[in-house]
Amino acid sequence: MNRIARGILPALFGVALLLLWEVMVRVKGVPVYILPAPSAIAGALWNDGGDLLVALSVTLEVTLAALILAAVTGAGIALALAQWPLAERTFFPYAVFLQVTPIVTVAPFIIIWVDNVFVVLLILAWMAAVFPIISNTLLGLKSADTNLKDLFRLYGASRMQTVARLLVPSALPYFLGGLRISGGLALIGTVVAEMVAGTSGTRSGLASRLLEASYRLELARALACFVLLSAVGFAIYAALDLFSKRLLRHWHESAKQTDI
Amino acid sequence: MSAAVVLQDVGKTFASGVQALAPLSSTIKAGSFTSIVGPSGCGKSTLLRVIAGLSAPTTGRVERDAPPHSTSFVFQDATLMPWATVAANVALPLRLAGRPDAEITERVTEALARVGLDGFAGSFPHQLSGGMKMRASIARAMVTGPKLLLMDEPFAALDEFTRAKLNDDLLALWQQNRWTVIFVTHSIREAVFLAERVLVMSPRPGRVIADRAISLAGHRDDALRLSHAFTDQCADISRLLAEAIQPPVNP
Ligand SMILES: Nc1ncnc2c1ncn2[C@@H]1O[C@H](COP(=O)(O)OP(=O)(O)OP(=O)(O)O)[C@@H](O)[C@H]1O
Ligand SMILES: [Mg+2]
Repeated sequence: MNRIARGILPALFGVALLLLWEVMVRVKGVPVYILPAPSAIAGALWNDGGDLLVALSVTLEVTLAALILAAVTGAGIALALAQWPLAERTFFPYAVFLQVTPIVTVAPFIIIWVDNVFVVLLILAWMAAVFPIISNTLLGLKSADTNLKDLFRLYGASRMQTVARLLVPSALPYFLGGLRISGGLALIGTVVAEMVAGTSGTRSGLASRLLEASYRLELARALACFVLLSAVGFAIYAALDLFSKRLLRHWHESAKQTDI
Repeated sequence: MSAAVVLQDVGKTFASGVQALAPLSSTIKAGSFTSIVGPSGCGKSTLLRVIAGLSAPTTGRVERDAPPHSTSFVFQDATLMPWATVAANVALPLRLAGRPDAEITERVTEALARVGLDGFAGSFPHQLSGGMKMRASIARAMVTGPKLLLMDEPFAALDEFTRAKLNDDLLALWQQNRWTVIFVTHSIREAVFLAERVLVMSPRPGRVIADRAISLAGHRDDALRLSHAFTDQCADISRLLAEAIQPPVNP
């Protein structure tokens, strides 16, 4: 199957689905506060676009900040845990705890303890995003080739040299795999946090707008928010995918171009 | 001639309880080329690791007449860092030793030329064939000017032609440099072709059950591979190995 067909098929499917939706809504006369037609959502996107983009930038800001924080702290924690096996045995269960606890249940406490809304959102989104980075990076650090490790020992490499020249490069593909998962999780974390924290006013994010609109039964606007959030999730994934392929393109199987 | 490695009652039992090496003693002369053959799983790799100092013997002593970091190891697979260029891979031992850049560039270029990889300095390992990767691995092993070169079935994964070519090249390099080489192989022909001395090991726990000097007149080349002297030596080692695996039944 060639490249064009690969792009066209999903697009055709999507257009067909939207058309069916539009026709059904019009034929059956479904009221707009139950299910707006795609054209109504597009209208909402067009009319409220500027306003929604501002909200989008707020959400995106938290998401990206949380993702960067998760990448830095996650990689750092993994590095520390890999260096000291005792630390791993002591702290890793708490990392798992962080992962399995639904962040919605933690949100009320964070909201009480922290005043700044941005920081509240950041903490919650970070909690949602950090675990895949820790666990993947840890796995990568431990997957360094044993023969190469022996070689480093034989040539008297210091611990720093071994970390910088062997462990970190070995872990990089795993770290990037974790980062791709965390990109989506950071967005989910931000959205959930916005909804729970009930941010409002001009500095509120897209998820709060979605919730507000749905309370007011402005379903076209709510769905417009939904469309934007999905698009952002998709864009984050695509950007991280591209980023990781760029970094690994010279050597890793996952980024190699197939030569057919 | 002085001894490069002295093994005195060296035994190794792993924590798992597996006894890999029965106490064995041997002396390896400086500048010599020694091959080790033995049945699979008899402890050859373990012995090399003990000699390298990568693994401590449970009994006995290993004496090495080599300053620290002057031992090089070549593994069965090339063991290159996939994220680094060929030049960066070969440069690794020098980088770890903190040598100045100018010296590194010079020695890496020279090492690559000697293994016939000039022109591939900037390539990544996945762009090389199996034989070329092995050459890069050998270049990395010799870039430090080692005193002791330990090779663990380095050519086992290569095809017959590449293997013969690399044998010839390795021999030429050894004749120029006179490292002490200990070469583990499954191939009796390879062992006899390369070495001045062949050690035959018993099944696990490994002991040295035969120690043969290889005396082959003349230059070691393709013609030698077909000569009677060569095939006789191979047959001799082959018989020793067969007996080691299945001892002759005494009537
Ligand atoms: N790290 C280890 N821990 C426990 N047992 C080990 C370890 N390394 C090797 N062994 C065991 O020691 C024995 C000898 O292993 P070794 O790798 O030295 O054999 P070998 O002669 O190199 O075999 P081959 O010819 O297949 O490479 C084997 O039974 C193996 O299972
Ligand atoms: Mg082995």
